Amino acid sequence: MERSIKAIYYDGATSRPQEVDVTISPLNSMEVVLPNGDRFQWPLEHHGMQWERTANMLRLSFGEHPRRVLLVRDELFIKSFVIRMRHSGRLGVYDRLLSFARTGPVFFFLGVAALLVCGYLWALPWAAERLVLLVPQSLDERIGDAVYEPMASTMNEDSERTEALRAFGKHVALSPSYELTYHVVDDEQVNAFALPGGHIVVFTGLLDRMGSPEELVALLAHEATHVEERHSTRMLARGMAGYLFLSLLIGDANAVIAVIAEHANSMRNMSYGRNLESEADAVGQERMFANGVDPEGMVNLLRLLEEQAAELPDGLSFLSSHPLTKDRIANATAKAKELGKPMEPNEALHESWNALKSEQDQPLEEIPSSVN
Amino acid sequence: MASLTSVFANTPFGTCVYLSRPPIHHFTMTSPLTRLSFKGKGGDLFIVLIVNMLLTFITLGLYYPWAKARSLSWYYENLELDGHPFHFHGTGNEMFKGFIKALGLLVVIYGVFIFLTFQKMEVVGFLWLFGTLIALLPFIIHGSYRYRTSRSSWRGIHFGYRGDLKELINLCLKGGLLTLVTLGIYGAWFAIDLRTYLIGHLRYGSSRFAYKGDGMEFFIMNLKGYFLTIITLGIYGFWWQRDIFNYYVDNLSWEFNDGKRIQFKSTATGGGFFGLLVGNLLLIIFTLGIGFAWAEVRMMRFVMEHVEFHGDADLDAVVQTELEHKDATADDLGDLMDFGIFI
Repeated sequence: MERSIKAIYYDGATSRPQEVDVTISPLNSMEVVLPNGDRFQWPLEHHGMQWERTANMLRLSFGEHPRRVLLVRDELFIKSFVIRMRHSGRLGVYDRLLSFARTGPVFFFLGVAALLVCGYLWALPWAAERLVLLVPQSLDERIGDAVYEPMASTMNEDSERTEALRAFGKHVALSPSYELTYHVVDDEQVNAFALPGGHIVVFTGLLDRMGSPEELVALLAHEATHVEERHSTRMLARGMAGYLFLSLLIGDANAVIAVIAEHANSMRNMSYGRNLESEADAVGQERMFANGVDPEGMVNLLRLLEEQAAELPDGLSFLSSHPLTKDRIANATAKAKELGKPMEPNEALHESWNALKSEQDQPLEEIPSSVN
Repeated sequence: MASLTSVFANTPFGTCVYLSRPPIHHFTMTSPLTRLSFKGKGGDLFIVLIVNMLLTFITLGLYYPWAKARSLSWYYENLELDGHPFHFHGTGNEMFKGFIKALGLLVVIYGVFIFLTFQKMEVVGFLWLFGTLIALLPFIIHGSYRYRTSRSSWRGIHFGYRGDLKELINLCLKGGLLTLVTLGIYGAWFAIDLRTYLIGHLRYGSSRFAYKGDGMEFFIMNLKGYFLTIITLGIYGFWWQRDIFNYYVDNLSWEFNDGKRIQFKSTATGGGFFGLLVGNLLLIIFTLGIGFAWAEVRMMRFVMEHVEFHGDADLDAVVQTELEHKDATADDLGDLMDFGIFI
């Protein structure tokens, strides 16, 4: 290419731009002729030569700081220059990718979008599960203790019924890997929860409404599955991985996009939470069966929860992690049918159950006087 | 408003680059005093962002510093003054080194905090955490200004920041304490003092910039803006935004060695801001975020086309004076802490 083209030259000493003539010689050097007739050579292969291409311009710079700069807008020159750089191996991955993207932006965008969606749907959960395996069990226990301690001071634990529940719990083996610690808390809420590592808290509001030991075992088995399968840790890993994914993706982007994406992500986390609930039901029923307890108890427990949930306005329960009780009841019924009745019923439970229930019958008002 | 600050971050030297130029090929009604122009196309920015996103994603975030350098470069190259583009010299390598150092520093700070918390010294821990993070601010501002300005050039001449770190610390200490004591009221004076100091130490080769604002004026303007925005249920917010923008631009000047100067003047209107911000919001919402790149370009265009240059200084006569400063640690630290340095 012997053609000479016009370019803008900044000499690095002053801000005055000069219009210069540029030719590339076959010897891989560039000759620049200044308006006053001065000329100099620029070796193209020299590592001190830098080039950058934008959508409509080529910027060449040379030397130490302050560098001398040439700006070229001639399209033919830019094209042949880029080809030359590619042949001499000075076209980086980024520039290749960018020029590829510029040739078919729509397809490129769709390709990247598809890749990201796949990553979010499959690679992300996979990575999160790997992450959980890296967290030692002992950490679950420490986290659980650290969370339970301050919580205990705000809750009114019923020590007698806690003892009774622990006695009841001795008759069933629900978690092979963790030592479960049961607590009964005096609270009207129809609820129960498990912390990572083994603390399981049952509120009297739920306990009082239960009609059979099978329901209680179902509840404990459900919560024990959360502990055993490390659901909190998995939720946490999932949440963290999702958050990282989003921040990688939208890093500097606009606040509106961030809000949309975060909502989408938390909806997905909730649906993951619901999956974990279903898993806790199903695995819990298997544990019940293994302990000689009728898995039908889970169905009764869920019915009980459903009745209580019905008292809440729909709007409140729709998005929480314990909704869709109808689906869960259907699944639990099917699972109970599949498992059948246990061959050797766990008779020892009934006695403990009666002991636990007898505590309930003491009217609460009498307790202060008995303390006195 | 949050998105407007991102414009500052993407220009060579923050607010001062509210500079624009007569778009020769455009058929717009801009006056010859408008010498800055933004040439970037939304589609092109979109491609750059997608490529960055892809590489960042594939490398699990490791590519981030390079992506940042690439997208900053894109903004600079597409910003022209008198038809000549700006240039960003920062590289991914520099930013990566800075990123690692900044990350290391934050790990140490948070590490000590976590250690103190485990030792049941939560109060000491929080004091340590907030103390160190606040104490870092002047260092971040100073370092970022030095880095960003040194890595910016126009027509081959580099910008530079010549502020003194000790002076800046004193300024921040005084401003911060008084703001705290006056329950935020002094914040207006602090902001103006800071701006005056930072811009006053900004160089473009042998030329310099100056900012002349008044804390009282700025305070009253914001007070008025605040209450009128509440009274008008937010509608006045666009005019408040215009007032702030104009206050930044109209008090900015560019001074040359021969005594000549360029005074900047904003032509932005409240209606203009309304169209820009509401338009951008709709653009982003209805495209589920894909329109982000186009919204950015609209914002850059709006800003650049509403700054006029008054005065007849010779832009050809500036001489190279500033040294290179390649340490991006402070800049990356500000980025990690999500701290908009370019006021």
